[in-house]
Amino acid sequence: MRGRPGLFTRYEDASAILPSGTQKVWLGIGLAVLVIAPFIVDRATLILLATAVVAAVGAIGLNLVTGYAGQVSLGHAFFLGVGAYSAAAIGGQPEEGKELIALGLDLWISLPLAGLIAALCGIVVAPVALRLRGLYLALVTLGLVFLGEHIFRNWTQLTGGQGVGREPATLSLFGYRFDLDGSVLGIDLIREQQIYFLALVVMVVMALLAKNLVRSRVGRAFAAVRDRDIAAEVMGVNLTKYKVLAFAVSSFYAGVAGALLYTVTGFLDPNAFNLFLSIAYIAMVVIGGAASIAGSIAGAFFITLLPEVIENVIHALPIDAETLFTSISTAQIERILFGVLIIVFLIFEPLGLYGIWIRIRNYWKAFPFSY
Amino acid sequence: MTTTAPRPVTTVQTVATLIRDRATAAPDQVALREKSLGVWQETTWAGYWDAVETAAHGFLALGIETGDRIAIHSENRTEWVVTDSATVAVRGISMGLYPTNPSAEVEYLLGNSGSRVHVAEDQEQVDKVLAVKHNLPELEKIIYFEGRGVDRYEDPMLMSWDAFMELGRSHRAANSHALTERMAGATEDDIAYLIYTSGTTGPPKGAMLTVANVNYVVQRLADTGGIIDPPPGPEDELVSYLPLCHVFEKAFGHWFNVGKASVTNYGESLDTLPTDLREVQPTIFEAVPRIWEKMHASMLIRMSSASLLKRLNYGFWMKRAEKLGKRLVDNGGTWTPWMRVQYGLGYLFLYRAVKERLGLKRCRYGVSGAAPIAPEILEFFMGIGVPIYEGYGMTENSAVATANRPGRVKVGTVGEPYDDIELKLDEQTGEILIRHPGVFAGYWRNPEATAATLDADGWLHTGDVGEWVDGTHVKIVDRIKDIIITAGGKNISPSEIENTLKMSPFVGEVIVIGDRRKFLSALIGIDYDVVSEWAQRKGLAHTTYRDLAEKPEVRELIQRQVTDANAKFASVEQIKKFGLLTKELDHEEGELTATQKVKRSVIEEKFAEEIEAMYR
Repeated sequence: MRGRPGLFTRYEDASAILPSGTQKVWLGIGLAVLVIAPFIVDRATLILLATAVVAAVGAIGLNLVTGYAGQVSLGHAFFLGVGAYSAAAIGGQPEEGKELIALGLDLWISLPLAGLIAALCGIVVAPVALRLRGLYLALVTLGLVFLGEHIFRNWTQLTGGQGVGREPATLSLFGYRFDLDGSVLGIDLIREQQIYFLALVVMVVMALLAKNLVRSRVGRAFAAVRDRDIAAEVMGVNLTKYKVLAFAVSSFYAGVAGALLYTVTGFLDPNAFNLFLSIAYIAMVVIGGAASIAGSIAGAFFITLLPEVIENVIHALPIDAETLFTSISTAQIERILFGVLIIVFLIFEPLGLYGIWIRIRNYWKAFPFSY
Repeated sequence: MTTTAPRPVTTVQTVATLIRDRATAAPDQVALREKSLGVWQETTWAGYWDAVETAAHGFLALGIETGDRIAIHSENRTEWVVTDSATVAVRGISMGLYPTNPSAEVEYLLGNSGSRVHVAEDQEQVDKVLAVKHNLPELEKIIYFEGRGVDRYEDPMLMSWDAFMELGRSHRAANSHALTERMAGATEDDIAYLIYTSGTTGPPKGAMLTVANVNYVVQRLADTGGIIDPPPGPEDELVSYLPLCHVFEKAFGHWFNVGKASVTNYGESLDTLPTDLREVQPTIFEAVPRIWEKMHASMLIRMSSASLLKRLNYGFWMKRAEKLGKRLVDNGGTWTPWMRVQYGLGYLFLYRAVKERLGLKRCRYGVSGAAPIAPEILEFFMGIGVPIYEGYGMTENSAVATANRPGRVKVGTVGEPYDDIELKLDEQTGEILIRHPGVFAGYWRNPEATAATLDADGWLHTGDVGEWVDGTHVKIVDRIKDIIITAGGKNISPSEIENTLKMSPFVGEVIVIGDRRKFLSALIGIDYDVVSEWAQRKGLAHTTYRDLAEKPEVRELIQRQVTDANAKFASVEQIKKFGLLTKELDHEEGELTATQKVKRSVIEEKFAEEIEAMYR
């Protein structure tokens, strides 16, 4: 009710996505920043931002299966890869002299299909999760990554093969090309800006869908399975159904993210979908915050922009970085930092960036008391 | 020629006609809210009247005649007021029981009132009446709201609320004019309510309130020129949690609602009151001193375990609030510009948050009644910006007697008499005498008690000793029967001393003793929650209430509270010795009345040994 934020007369209001005016304001500010950013930053940063937005979709997907449903998955890179190559095969333009699968279909077909094919793979893998929990499940999904790497390297008709690669799907929606410079509503946009906005719309829609999913019966079932699957089963939650569903939905998100992931760089390398990519997504979820949609987005931005930040920091250091870091590259420092960050967050702030936010919020929520 | 009977016009305003008229004027406006399964479910005026009409037809179908008694034994909820209003609609007499009333009291109240229908909330209350129904020849039907457990009972007297409403619907379909005709016959002298006094001395007596009494209350308290300015209206929210069978809650939670369309909210239970208040943020809040004290104490406890920064912030702004409260008390509740600036800053840093947590952020009128309240509590709430006014009234005068008014507050008094009522003090005893149209019609089936309370000239003898303060405000000294005359011949009011001591959050209950004795002593009951929290912080292991009360450290703690309180009194009024109660006083065991007032005679008898020990 107006002026009485705690007075709910309907369940719809009590479980609203944005129950309070403050949250609406913050969301508005966040969206405004995301819309204005591509007009301010340089092209290199814009590419990173576009990648971050796409990564956010993938991170939300991983958070659904790992954060909400509690099924640890190290195989996210595999599903990303499935999505990327499905989209490339369905939406890529056939090239003369290359024996690549390329159907040249429009984005409105290739993007959902990429998601669906990935989801199908998820459904095939899911039964493993019915048998295994925790570390064992992590190991099996880890195997998936290696399986995927092998397939991607050797199925040259699909991937172009090792060292060759192929172009990702053409971003042509109802004939409008997002991968070229263009103008929308009289505003001239360069190629990267176009892709960025396409990805942003996809991310907002997917985030909204995920938010709705987790506040519904399905979301509560996921949480019940995560907290204790046996207890959930006793409460009447169908374990088979919800574990399979969790993998399917998560893989769908990975598929969609994969389809868009390398469009901004314009090149698909079969070696990209490796264990390191999986770990980067795990880091997004852990650092952003398990079981939080907003956290997934924050984590995706944090991890994607981290290398840029590290580089800048190293260059800003007063010492000669070249001599100090002769034996390790920036990429290696990045990896070390990922590891350290994951460990630090798991120990000190298991709820991630979202947890820090929660802590600040709770400080004021109970003000002037402490609880 | 038409075949339908002419629609009789009701001329006398009753609770039922008020709801009916509101349902026509604003059918979709929210009348009531009840928290159920996590959300506040709303009842519109149209829905409210539909339910009242159906229930009234149900009573007609059960053969309820004018003047028949219908008893209600339930926590506050929508069905409570529906039953109550339906009873008034069929010109029956509505009688409420406290949810805590044990079986023996249920037997007494139903027997004394001679109720024909008993409406009970759930299995707990149904069991109480089933145990004694063989002694209640006039009882015919028991209707229950919640079927869980009761549905399996095979007693022909039992009827579920749903079945009762179904009966009402079919009766309405067959005799659509029956209710209209019955309502048309209503007179101002109809007895609408039997309100049983809590009975600190002797068994409860049923005060009869007429339709005219109720109309007078609505007009006197809630119209323009009443206690609240501007008067209550549809924008006002109230939380109904005090027992509806008491005149205080009836006035605020029920009569304000039907008379002035303020929205009444029924929370889940008394235990969830803090949450319910926080959600509803009522604009008008009625409470007994115990509730104000609890709110104050809970804040102190929660503050004591807050982080350092928060404690410092609290300490600084509470000091300002204290000063503000004192200033407000001194000048009757008027604000100066400089006070507003200070308050504005404090509001930003503390008061807003505190008021929000307490659920009083939007409160524009807080009232304390039914028992005397400590001035320090009033100062605290005034300081943080909750306008709180102490009032005085009783069942026998339909809660209309005196009240403090905005801008004219005198702390320690119960305020000024209402404009057009007559109030005087008895020249010999100082007893407060009152005469106005809200004075009750007498005690049910008890002419002796009526004669003792209501004299031939229509003056109500309240049984409270009062005195004038500055010629305008009334101060209540004590109940006439409670005044202590020490062996030295000095008259002492125990409640003043008790309330001062109860200001300490550690003290829950105090009974001052000293009638015909050499000095004053007291039996003190600790507030378990607060003392327990204190003991935990001191690392003092304890188990039960008794264990805690018997700890020498706790005795020392209470001794300090007594010493502090004593400093405010002259030597004869000081508590020289005290004993700690080893159990919590309880309604079920007859130590408290249903309204949590101490039954002195019972205590003095039950704890005779402890009392004698203090004088040995």
